[in-house]
Amino acid sequence: MTGDPLHILIAAAVSWINFVTIDLIFRLPQRGGVSGAREIARQIEDGGGALHGGYMMGNIVSSPDASAGTLLAACGVYIAGIPGGILAALLVYLGNRICHDPGYAGTTGALFATFIVYGFSLFGFSAAEFIAGMVIAILTIQGISAVYASRLLSTLWRWRRA
Amino acid sequence: MAQGVNAEEAALIICGSIAAYAAVRILLEKNTLRKLPFLNVLSFAVAGSIALLLPHPLGIIAAAAYFIGSTLESNAIASTYAGGTREQ
Amino acid sequence: MNFLLAAVFAFLAVAGTLGTIIEKDPFAKLISLSMIAGGVIPFIVDRGYLDVAIAVAIIAPLSTIFLLFACRRDSS
Repeated sequence: MTGDPLHILIAAAVSWINFVTIDLIFRLPQRGGVSGAREIARQIEDGGGALHGGYMMGNIVSSPDASAGTLLAACGVYIAGIPGGILAALLVYLGNRICHDPGYAGTTGALFATFIVYGFSLFGFSAAEFIAGMVIAILTIQGISAVYASRLLSTLWRWRRA
Repeated sequence: MAQGVNAEEAALIICGSIAAYAAVRILLEKNTLRKLPFLNVLSFAVAGSIALLLPHPLGIIAAAAYFIGSTLESNAIASTYAGGTREQ
Repeated sequence: MNFLLAAVFAFLAVAGTLGTIIEKDPFAKLISLSMIAGGVIPFIVDRGYLDVAIAVAIIAPLSTIFLLFACRRDSS
């Protein structure tokens, strides 16, 4: 299976949509789950960003959310197919509880991603491309500009609330 | 150039590049708490690399353990910086 | 693991060490320590020592957390 750049870009887009959608559904931008997430959001806001986007970015840092679920599910499917993805979902669930997070965003993201990645693998994609794609997706949110990413997430959060 | 022909090699190259980029951004960022999102990106890249380097079922647990450990650590750093270790 | 990938993870470890030395804020030093672990663990995995990798991946963050607990207790 070749590492086609187009495949990796499509995988990145699909991973991005998966984790952002599930995080929005589970209301990650609504408030900071723990004090660390709230503080990160405050610092991002001080730097010119938007508060609710900052809450979501802080929540992503503080606890495994759908982005972590998507990545670990892709790793699981790469190594062991659907059972690997389900094992990854279980590990994300444990990780959430260890981080005192009562939510299900991570587990849901992992389960959805398991079936999405497996489905795409039937069409010539490789799960490795989804691993790379998910890393690219999280780079666009957490790793380029906190200011613009938080504003984008706040805009999406406004749509979700409407 | 024979690089990038294989999906696994291409994915490893991408994860490696993003890890190096994230490391540089961590060092360049002056505000301590704003470093944490870049550390998060680095954890994603390293967790992906762990799964890609050795496709053994225990590798899923290794990647998950590394990622959850890194998340727990970032959470602790952010919470202690904010002054709220009571809930940990 | 080819040479380029090994160089990247070695760079992570070295950058983490540099960060620990140069940074003034103690929390930033702890973040740089986390970078060192991130650079070392892929080497352990590459050699096949997955159980060692899992142990390091759990113990390294845990020691940072205990450090934070100890620092909190000193200051409060």
